[in-house]
Amino acid sequence: MQQRAEQLASILPPLMVSAQRVAATVAQGVHGRRRVGQGETFWQYRRYLPGDSVRSVDWRRSAKSDQVFVRETEWEAAQTVWLWRDTSASMRWRSRRDLPEKADRAEILLRALGLLLVGAGERIALLGESLPPTTGRTALLRLSHGLERPTAAPAGIPNFEPLPRHAELVLIGDLLAPLDEVQALVGKFVAKGVRGHLLQVLDPAEETLPFAGRVRFEGMEGEASALLPRVESLRTDYIDRMSEHREGLAHIARAAGWYFSCHHTDRSAESGLLALYGALARDRMN
Amino acid sequence: MLTLGSLAFASPWLLTALAVLPVIWLLLRVTPPAPRRLNFPAIRILHLLTPKEETPARTPWWLVLLRLLIAALVILGLSEPLLNPSARLAGDGPVVIALDDTWAAAPRWEDRRRVLLRLIEDAEQQSRQVVLLTTSEGVDEARRSSGVVRPTDARALVQAMEPRPWGPDMAATAAALDKLQLPSAGATAYLVDGLDHGAGQVQLIERLQRLGRLTAHLPAPPQVARALMPPDGLSSDLVVGARRPIAGAEAEVAVRAIAGDGRLIAREAARFAADGIKTEVKFVLPTELRNQVQRLEIENEPSAAAVVLLDERWRRRPVGLIGPTQFDASQPLLDELHYLDKALAPFAEVRRGPVAELLKRELAVILLPDAGALPPADKAQLAPWIEAGGVLMRFAGPKLANAEDDLVPVKLRKGDRALGGALSWNRPQPLAPFETASPFAGLAVPTDVTVQRQVLAQPGLELNERTWARLADGTPIVTGERRGLGWNVLVHTTAIPTWSNLPMSGLFVDMLRRVVALSQGVTGSVSTQPLPPIETLDGFGRITAPPPSAVALVGDARVGSRNPPGFYGTESARRALNLGPFVADAAALTQIPNGVTRASYAIGEETVLKPHLLTAALLLLLIDIVIGLVLRGLMPGRVAAARAAIALLALLPIAAEAQTRNPPSRANAVDAFALEGTLNVRLAYVITGDARTDETSRLGLEGLTHILQRRTAIEPDGPLGVDVEADELAFFALIYWPMTQSQAMPSPSAMQRLNTYLKNSGTIVFDTRDAGEIVVDPFAGGPGAQKLREIARGLSIPALVPAPPEHVLTKAFYLLNDFPGRFASGQLWVEATRAQGEDEVSSVILGSNDWAGAWASDAGGRALYAVVPGGEIQREMAFRFGVNLVMYALTGNYKADQVHVPAILERFGQ
Repeated sequence: MQQRAEQLASILPPLMVSAQRVAATVAQGVHGRRRVGQGETFWQYRRYLPGDSVRSVDWRRSAKSDQVFVRETEWEAAQTVWLWRDTSASMRWRSRRDLPEKADRAEILLRALGLLLVGAGERIALLGESLPPTTGRTALLRLSHGLERPTAAPAGIPNFEPLPRHAELVLIGDLLAPLDEVQALVGKFVAKGVRGHLLQVLDPAEETLPFAGRVRFEGMEGEASALLPRVESLRTDYIDRMSEHREGLAHIARAAGWYFSCHHTDRSAESGLLALYGALARDRMN
Repeated sequence: MLTLGSLAFASPWLLTALAVLPVIWLLLRVTPPAPRRLNFPAIRILHLLTPKEETPARTPWWLVLLRLLIAALVILGLSEPLLNPSARLAGDGPVVIALDDTWAAAPRWEDRRRVLLRLIEDAEQQSRQVVLLTTSEGVDEARRSSGVVRPTDARALVQAMEPRPWGPDMAATAAALDKLQLPSAGATAYLVDGLDHGAGQVQLIERLQRLGRLTAHLPAPPQVARALMPPDGLSSDLVVGARRPIAGAEAEVAVRAIAGDGRLIAREAARFAADGIKTEVKFVLPTELRNQVQRLEIENEPSAAAVVLLDERWRRRPVGLIGPTQFDASQPLLDELHYLDKALAPFAEVRRGPVAELLKRELAVILLPDAGALPPADKAQLAPWIEAGGVLMRFAGPKLANAEDDLVPVKLRKGDRALGGALSWNRPQPLAPFETASPFAGLAVPTDVTVQRQVLAQPGLELNERTWARLADGTPIVTGERRGLGWNVLVHTTAIPTWSNLPMSGLFVDMLRRVVALSQGVTGSVSTQPLPPIETLDGFGRITAPPPSAVALVGDARVGSRNPPGFYGTESARRALNLGPFVADAAALTQIPNGVTRASYAIGEETVLKPHLLTAALLLLLIDIVIGLVLRGLMPGRVAAARAAIALLALLPIAAEAQTRNPPSRANAVDAFALEGTLNVRLAYVITGDARTDETSRLGLEGLTHILQRRTAIEPDGPLGVDVEADELAFFALIYWPMTQSQAMPSPSAMQRLNTYLKNSGTIVFDTRDAGEIVVDPFAGGPGAQKLREIARGLSIPALVPAPPEHVLTKAFYLLNDFPGRFASGQLWVEATRAQGEDEVSSVILGSNDWAGAWASDAGGRALYAVVPGGEIQREMAFRFGVNLVMYALTGNYKADQVHVPAILERFGQ
C-alpha cells in the first residue's frame, strides 16, 4: 500500500496537487443526492413491503421491534462524465507574468473536477481517449496519464464522438472557434442525448485588449497576423465583438439545454470549479 | 584643414553632411516605429475588426533626437577633428628658436619645454632643421647656440636644458645668432621668460624678426617670476619683501620658512595689492625657531629668486657681558648684569665672562657695566675687536665717573651730575625724542623714564654728531663713536636703577636691540678674503653643488654665472648670496615690437577626437538598440533594459582599467616580501643556491610548520626562503641555515646585516648536516663544519657550549633528552652566556643532525629521507625538537622561569 501510495504521489504532477487543493475547497459545499436509491450510505429504515428483497431486511433493526424493517440506502447512481479541455496552442498564452496560462488553468479545473467526480463515485473519461469510463483510483490515474499525453492534433473544439446516451460532457477551453463550428458540434452531441457544459477560459487581456500603439498581432495557430497601427482606437470595437461571441456561445448552450460559463484566469480557480461543479450537481439532482 | 579656435578639422568637407540632418529628422518623424510583435490567441476577433485610422504612432521625439545625435557624432567624427592642432610654421629653412633660460624662466619651465618640443616637432613634420639659442649669461658659445641641427638632436638638447639662477646676456646671444649667418629662417620663435631685459633683448628680437616671422611666447602676467628680498635683519621679526615684476590683479603670495634640515618652520601669506608690485611677509617667530630658519621661499615658485638663504647675519647675535661668570644670586636686583641679562634675553644669546674668555668665541656685541679704567690687557684685546666690527657698549656709574679711561666715545668730565637731589633745584630729566640720525630713531620715548644722575661729556666739536640720545635739557645720555668697522657706545647712566629708571623700562630693551642690530653679526665675517662657494642654488632654487663656473666670492659681487646664489665661505662661517636684491627692479616685458606674433605658453596636446566621437556614437547606438528593443516589447521589461545598460556602462571602465594596469615594480616586490614575512609568523631558511638543499629546507620547514599547526598554538604560514644578500631578515624570529659545499660566501654587507640580525635578538640555526659523515680529522670536523667555520669568520658569533641537559630547549614544549634530526649523534651547541636583553634566547644554535632532512616529506606526507639509525621514534623526536626550537625562539626563557612555579605556588598557598 505504502509503496503504491508513494508511486502515485510521485506521478502526480504539481498541477495535480493544486487541483486536489481546489477540489477539496469545493467538495465541502456540495451535498449528496438526498433520495433513496442504490448506494452504500444509509438513508432510512422503512417498513417491509411485500416485494422487497429479503436481503434488504435489516435484521438488527427488525429484532428491536415487532415490525420488519428494510434498510434503504441513499441513491448513488453513478453517472458517466466525459471531460475535455482545449490543448491548442492558443491556450498556452498569458498576458502577464503573474497570471497562469489558460491551458494550465483549464487543466487544473479539469483535474479538480475529475477528483470531485471520482470522489462522488462518478465514472469519468477523457474525451478522445477511446478508453471506457471508470471510477476510483484507476480513473484518476487514467485521467493523469491522458492529460500528460500530448494530443495528436490539438484543436480549438473537440471532434464529435458518439457518446452513450445521458452521458455528460464537460468542455473547457477558450472556445474562440467560429460560432457555427461550435453550433454544429453541440448539435451533434445534443442529437445523441448528451448533456453538456461549456466553460470558456479567457485571459483578461483577451477580454479588454489592453495594448496601445503600433502592434503586429501574431496568431498562435497559424492564422494570418494583423498589424494594427493604433490598437487603442479599436479597443471598444474589440470588446463588443468579444462579448458578442460570448453571447453567441451562451445562446448555443441555452438552446441545447447546456450550461455555459466564462472563467478568467485572473480569478481564482475555485470560483470557476464551483460554478461548473454546481451545474453538474444540479444536473444530477434533476 | 579648417581651424576654429583650438579645434580644427582635417577633412572639413565631410561637415557638409551635417546639412542632411534635417532630412534625417523628417524621415525619422515620418517613418513609424517598428511595431511591437505580440502573440494573441483571440486574433480571429481582431481580423473581424476594420481598422479605423491608419495614422501610425509616431517615434517619440527624444528617440529621434538621440538618433540625430548619433548621426551628427558620426559625421563630426569622420571629419577628423583635432583639439589644439599644431600650427604650420611659416616659410622654410631652419626654424630659429630663442629661449630665455634665466632665473625667471624657472617657474613653469615644463610649459616652456613643452612649447619648445612642440615647435621642434612641427619643424620635424615639415622636415626643417632647428637652431636653438639660449640667452642666459655665462655660457660659452657652443652651448649658447646649437647651430643648425636636426630636430632629433635639438630634442635631446632641450631635454638637457635647465634654467640658470642668474640673468641673461642678450648681446652674446644676438652675436651668436649673427655668427650663424643664416640667410633666412622663415619662422622664428622667442620663448620669453617674461621680463624686460632692456636693449639687448630688443636687439635680439629685431634680429629674430629680420630672419623670419617671429612668434614671441610670453607668460601670462600672474605667471611671471616673482622675487623674494632678504629680510633686513634689523627687526626681531623676519620681514621678507616679495616683489612681482608686473602689477595686476590682487594675488596672494605664500612664503615658507624652512630649517636647514628641510623642516617647515612657518608659512605666512601676504597679498599683492591690485596695482602693487611689493608686499611684505612677516614671520613672528620665537628666537629659537627664528635662528633655525635657513631658507625662505615663495611657495610653489621654483626659482632661484624666490629663495632667500639666511646666514649668520640673520641669526640672533651673540652678546657678551663682561663680569663674573656666576650671578650673585642672593641680591640679583643690585647686580647690573642682571638687568642687562634680562633685557637681552629675548633677542640675543648672552655669554658672561672676563674679556679674554669672551673674545675666544665670536661675539657681536660686548656690554660692559660700570667699570673704572679697564686693565691694559683687556683694552689691548677689545680695541682690535672693535676695529674689526665689534660693538662695545659701556654703562656709566660711580666707578666710571671717578676713573679716567679712553675707551669711551667722548671725553668725560670727572664726577657726575645729579639731578633732582635733595640739595638741587632741578628735577630728574626725561629723555628727549630721538633724532633721526640716531640709531634709536623711531623708538617711542615714554614720559616716565627719567634720569637722576649721569656722567657728563666734555663739550667738543664731535660731541654733537656722536650723540645718540639726549635728555630733555640737551645733555647727551647715549653717545657712540665709530671705530674702524665697529662702534664704541657709552650710556651715560647706570645699567641698574640707581641713577635712572631707564633699565626698568621697555625702552631699554628696544635700545639694546637696536645696538645689537647695529653690529655686523659675527665680527670678522666681513673680510676681503675670497669666500669659496659651498653650496649654490640651481635655476629651480634647489641647493646643489656649485657649478663649475662658480668662483670664490670677493667683496660685494653681483650674482651671475661666476657667483651663483648660494652659500659661500666655510662651513662654520657661511655667507649667503641671494639673487633677490639683484633682480628687485625687474620689470615684466609688456611692449613687443609690431609684427611679432604674441603667443602664450598655454598650449594643450594635440588631441585627435575622431575615436572619441565614434566611440560615443557607438555607445549611443547601443543605447538606441536597447531602447528600440524595449519599445517593441522584445526586452522582458524595463528593469532588464536598465540592467543591461548599466552592465554595459560598468564594463567600459573595467576594460579601460585593464589596459592601464601596470606591471608591479621592484619596490612592490620588496613590499610584498615584507608583507609576506610579517603578516603571520613564518619560518625561514637561507637559500644556499644548492637546489636540492633548498628544496629539502623548504619541505622540511613545511613539515615542521604543519606539525606546529597541528600540535601547538603557533600557526605559522608556509616557510620563506631568504636571500641573505638582498632580503630583510628582521621579519623572522628563526632562520634555518644548512651548510652546503657549493654555498657562496656572504658579501661583507650581508655579513653586516647578519650580525645586525644576531645582535637584535634574531636566532640562526646552523646545520652542518655532517653528523653522518665519516670524518677523517675529528678536529677539523666534517665538510659542513669546515664551511661553517669559513662563514662564521665574518659573523660575530658568541662563545658556544654543548647544550646543557637543563637547557630550555629540552623543555620548551616537549621534554627531550637529545636533539635528533636525520642523524642522532650530533652535538647541539648553544650560546654559553645568556644575554639578558634578548630574552635569553641563544642567537646561534649549531648542530649537525640535518633536521630539515628529518622533517621533509613529500606532497603525500611520506618522509623523504630515512633517519639514521632509524625508527619512527627518532623522526618523531626530530619533530619534537623542531617544536621546541620554534617555541624557544618565540617565547624565550618563559619555560625556564617555570622552574620557579613550585615556589610561587607554595607562596600562594599560604
